[in-house]
Amino acid sequence: MTVLLETKDLSKKFAGLVANQDIRFRLEAGSIRCVIGPNGAGKTTFISMISGHLSPTEGRIIYKDQDVTDLSVISRARIGIARKFQTPTVFDNLTAYQNIELAVMGTSCPRPKRRGRIFEVLDLIRLSDLWDRPVRFLSHGQRQWLEVGLLIAIEAELLLLDEPTAGMTAEETASTARLVQMLSREFKLSVIIIEHDINFIRDLRAPVTVLHLGRVLLEGSFDEVAANDQVREVYLGHETG
Amino acid sequence: MTAETDKHIPPVGRVSLRGLSESETGLAVVVFIVLALLPMFVSGYPIYILPQYMLFGMMAMSLGLLWGFVGILSFGQAGFFALGAYTMGLAMQSDWGVNPAYIGMLLSIIAGGILAAVTGYFLFSAGVRATYFVLVTLALSIMVEQIAVSQSEITGGWNGMFIDRMTLTFGGLGEISLFDDAPAYYAVLPVVVLTYALLRWLTSAKFGKVLAGIRENEDRLTALGYSVSLYKTFAFALSGAIACLAGALYGTHANFVAPSLGGVLFSTEVVVWVAIGGRNSLLGALLGGILVATLSNYLSTITPEYWQLVLGLIFIVVIVFFTGGIAGAVGKLPQLWQPRR
Repeated sequence: MTVLLETKDLSKKFAGLVANQDIRFRLEAGSIRCVIGPNGAGKTTFISMISGHLSPTEGRIIYKDQDVTDLSVISRARIGIARKFQTPTVFDNLTAYQNIELAVMGTSCPRPKRRGRIFEVLDLIRLSDLWDRPVRFLSHGQRQWLEVGLLIAIEAELLLLDEPTAGMTAEETASTARLVQMLSREFKLSVIIIEHDINFIRDLRAPVTVLHLGRVLLEGSFDEVAANDQVREVYLGHETG
Repeated sequence: MTAETDKHIPPVGRVSLRGLSESETGLAVVVFIVLALLPMFVSGYPIYILPQYMLFGMMAMSLGLLWGFVGILSFGQAGFFALGAYTMGLAMQSDWGVNPAYIGMLLSIIAGGILAAVTGYFLFSAGVRATYFVLVTLALSIMVEQIAVSQSEITGGWNGMFIDRMTLTFGGLGEISLFDDAPAYYAVLPVVVLTYALLRWLTSAKFGKVLAGIRENEDRLTALGYSVSLYKTFAFALSGAIACLAGALYGTHANFVAPSLGGVLFSTEVVVWVAIGGRNSLLGALLGGILVATLSNYLSTITPEYWQLVLGLIFIVVIVFFTGGIAGAVGKLPQLWQPRR
């Protein structure tokens, strides 16, 4: 498999505080990776450096064999690196259709095909029946999905999802896991997910990277990570009591 | 396309921004027809003064584009308006070999566009947002006023500058003097109509949709790969060019420009017109400019002492009860007749 994204000794320091330290990370094209860790482990800092919202103090980011470390958020979005924020960040007073339309308009999709493409995406995220509803009226979970839909609509190849299931019901969480698996399997998208929800991570059956105090503590399958004493101590211990 | 996917596809044209939208075009046509027919039934002072109020309305639309569609407020529109009037005045004093008024109009569009583009480019690419942008535009307005005062050899200083009425020329095909009020009226009206049509077209095209995205969530739009600062700069440049052209036509119509035309007080008035008319609707902004200016004029004759107080009260009532202005309130009327869900 080809490597889509690689970080080389990525570090980020905020005035003395080390948020990320020498992170070496590889993601194969079309694969899913969960990034977990207790609060303050540096998860959001890590994907903010990949999306371009933060620039690293040291280290390089290689995407598709290109050094993207110095590219802006806009340039990275245009080459396929797209991010979902921690709280749903959508265009509140526009309809679901208009939201996706804004994303599709930025792609090379020819004008006559836009409408069809917009409904294709709305079908994927199950919002086609609510297409003309201003999205401030949608449920929290639906707004989370809409934001994922925006990333699909700009034809992103690497999705960075910051807590996509936060505030979702158990059922919504389970279907989000199926959505992400489907995006990876059928659309060959690569996904990095920050999550706290253990059931979601288990459902995904994807490799897990554990961050602790800004460093990579361990990488492995869910079962390996769950069985690791160190991980249980720093993270899962709190969850399973 | 299969019948299965077909059922989702809504009829073209139903997707629209909030407020008045499809109905606005129809209403605008009615308004423009009324304005076009008015000189046949009315004469005298109203026909003299209305073109100036229509140009105020044009300036109000330039603010409506920024405030309603991009979500950025400018307290500098009068600065551009006065810049246009002075540009026209200076152009009319020079010998160009061609109609100096045409040169004045062209130069005012360029001057307004460039001043706004340069200011906007530096502010927006540096990530300056709402409040600070307002302050800079406020400063822009003060600067125009101060320069007009201090450069008295060029501008006439406090005494202002007299500007002749323009004459329309058509190459060798003849000419029309706009010295009389009716021809001047019919020269200004088409410019206002064309400006409205241009802005309507732009705001319903991709450009307008992206502007709405900026208003709703700038960070999200940036993270989708849009160059938000470029769009904002272009919108501001367009707004500056329109306000400046309106000012140029105003100068030649009113025959006079003084520094206070570019001042903060007048800039604030523009904000009041747009707030009352409705900032989410270009027609609302246009009518806000025309009607509030008319009302101010009327009130100042019947109560010279308190007219500003009355206007202030109207402003407060509109802001408190109709945040979308009068256009927003009218746009909601149809909903009242529908059964509640």
